[in-house]
Amino acid sequence: MKATMRFLSSSPNVTLAIIVAMGVVLLGFKSGGEFFGPVSVTTFFRFLAIPILIGLAQMITLSVGQLNLAVGSIGGFAACLAGVVVTDFGVPQWIGALIAVVVGGLAGIVNGVLIVVTKINGFIVTLATMTILMGAQYALVGTRTISADAWPSVTQFGKSEILGIPVIFIMTLIVAGLVSFYFAKMVGGRRLLATGDNETAAEYGGISIDRSLITAHGLSGLLAGVAAFVAVATLPGVNQSVGGDWLLPSFAAPIIGGVVLTGGAVAVLGTVLAATIVRLVDSARAEFQLAPAWVNLVVGAVVLGTVALGRVRANRAEALIVQQRVRAAEEALAEVEVVR
Amino acid sequence: MTTVMARVKKTAANPRVFLLFLIVLLVVLFGSLKPAFLNGPFVLAPLMSSIAIFTVVGLAQMVALSVGHMNLAVGQMASLGAMVMGLCYDVFRMPLILGLLVGLVAGAAVGALTGWIIVKTGVNSFIVTLAMSFALIGLVPAMYSWLSEGAAFTSKPAGLDLIGRQTFASICMGNTCGTDAVPLIILPAILIMGLVWYLYSRTRLGREILVTGSNVKAAELSGVPTGRRLMFVHTLSGTLAAAAGFMVAASVGSFTPAIGSEFMLPSFVGPILGGTLLAGGFVSVIGTFLGITLTLVIRKGLDLFGVGLETMNVLLGVILLVALSTERFRLASGGRRRGGERPSGEPAQTDDPDQPDEALKDPPESVQTEDKELAR
Repeated sequence: MKATMRFLSSSPNVTLAIIVAMGVVLLGFKSGGEFFGPVSVTTFFRFLAIPILIGLAQMITLSVGQLNLAVGSIGGFAACLAGVVVTDFGVPQWIGALIAVVVGGLAGIVNGVLIVVTKINGFIVTLATMTILMGAQYALVGTRTISADAWPSVTQFGKSEILGIPVIFIMTLIVAGLVSFYFAKMVGGRRLLATGDNETAAEYGGISIDRSLITAHGLSGLLAGVAAFVAVATLPGVNQSVGGDWLLPSFAAPIIGGVVLTGGAVAVLGTVLAATIVRLVDSARAEFQLAPAWVNLVVGAVVLGTVALGRVRANRAEALIVQQRVRAAEEALAEVEVVR
Repeated sequence: MTTVMARVKKTAANPRVFLLFLIVLLVVLFGSLKPAFLNGPFVLAPLMSSIAIFTVVGLAQMVALSVGHMNLAVGQMASLGAMVMGLCYDVFRMPLILGLLVGLVAGAAVGALTGWIIVKTGVNSFIVTLAMSFALIGLVPAMYSWLSEGAAFTSKPAGLDLIGRQTFASICMGNTCGTDAVPLIILPAILIMGLVWYLYSRTRLGREILVTGSNVKAAELSGVPTGRRLMFVHTLSGTLAAAAGFMVAASVGSFTPAIGSEFMLPSFVGPILGGTLLAGGFVSVIGTFLGITLTLVIRKGLDLFGVGLETMNVLLGVILLVALSTERFRLASGGRRRGGERPSGEPAQTDDPDQPDEALKDPPESVQTEDKELAR
């Protein structure tokens, strides 16, 4: 029993996967098996794409020890901009969808550049850009809702599925895979982690902190842009409320997933699993016909519980970071040897 | 002569003086372009009552910033406090003061809980207060729909309207009445400003909080019970937020779940424009008041020119960025002139709100001098 418990708490991902499984079984029973029906499975995965994407967007800024409060407003602005250029300016629909992604990335880069140039705290900069973009989003669409009828083939893409799994969800998993690969294997990703772990050491190691910050914010914005694309493809229309409720889920997923706030570590699988849990809470709310406010209550309580009871895990993460540091140092030494 | 010049320079370099100058300039500008701006009961009185409310909101954030923490749940703590007050008046028929006290205790309790979690777990205040804010965003509307009809408490105890919606015109001594351009709601705000100012500049507790904020380790080693001070600060922040919630409810005349929903951005803008450091260790009550006043004067002025809400949001963000970056460049160039030992040695530069103690390993001199100014 003790050994089992130790195994369960050994990896946060195992714990998370068990919670997901329990949630699925519970929901399945409650709905009398309806939850496993093809339509409901497809819907579940279709609306899981955005929580995962914004969770990853936040995770990337957390990896360098920064925050991005503007995830939701970047996404909302980008989605509305895409809607406006397609509907009002007659831009081809796929170009419009691409614009959503590109604008997200650009907004992220602007965040990064502002933080680097002004040296103002990233929290304040993204708080300010959040407000600015929310205003801009409202200026774009006002009170109207731009109907998705203007981009039928993008909507078709959002509806298409392979074996009952929405293509949009598969795309999201590919994005998550790319993020994972970036942080695990690519120099850029390793640089971000080094910056987040120890800025001074990273700088002495020849890593440009400025470039890391801009890269992290740029990528975060890019993923928010991809989330905007998903919103454009799956929602019946875009309006000023898109992105308004992304802030908590974007933090909840990486934090429950085990990402440390001080930077230097990422957990892509944990973030994906935690986003699934958040989505399950939402499904449960629909199943039990509760007010949407309950989702916030539960997710907020879960985040509080995770951080309050996560002391043990934090200690373990610290040990892990030390290990990673040792490994990174060895790698760096090996690189130096090769250069010589 | 040079001392006079130096003095003028020093005064002009004080962000509070600069803010005051900007406010006066804008009031004159708006007043001359649109005489309606100076209309007492319809423009100035509402403007002053929102300044009063948001100053208290700013102070609720400022006390958390004073130890290098944040309170992202200010708005939700305000809505919780207001909900409890509404409940007391509506269901239990309590008199004004008693219900107010119960609501303030509720705000203090949720603040204390937040502080306790932060201190006990060592988890960053940002995350704890963010999670707390979402738990409350879920809880408060649910409680309203459960306990009230139409999701609002509308009972008004005697005196609520007097505080919230009336001006000095209602206060008469013999035949002379006060002006109708000044709302009565500024009185609680002035009282709260005075108390917070007194706490930070005149009491041992306040000094210990500031020491904790500027360097936790040093404070701990000097015998300051830092954990208790951190908890106290969050308790105070919750209490002030609840007070702000009461003021909003009094000014609109009912207790609703929407109270506090737009507190977050102004709560940061006020203290930060006023010179309060994100890293902790320095506060300015007057600065917070001036920062809030500046943003609200701009809002009101633009409102009169028919500028829409969305543009104002954009502007508020831009003001925050511009104000902070000019401040930074000014301090950075000043630092270089002073000998250039720390060209970018401004404490607020830390890009990482998560590690205030690390950012302040060596407290820069600007903090100390400003600190002394406050003590005077």
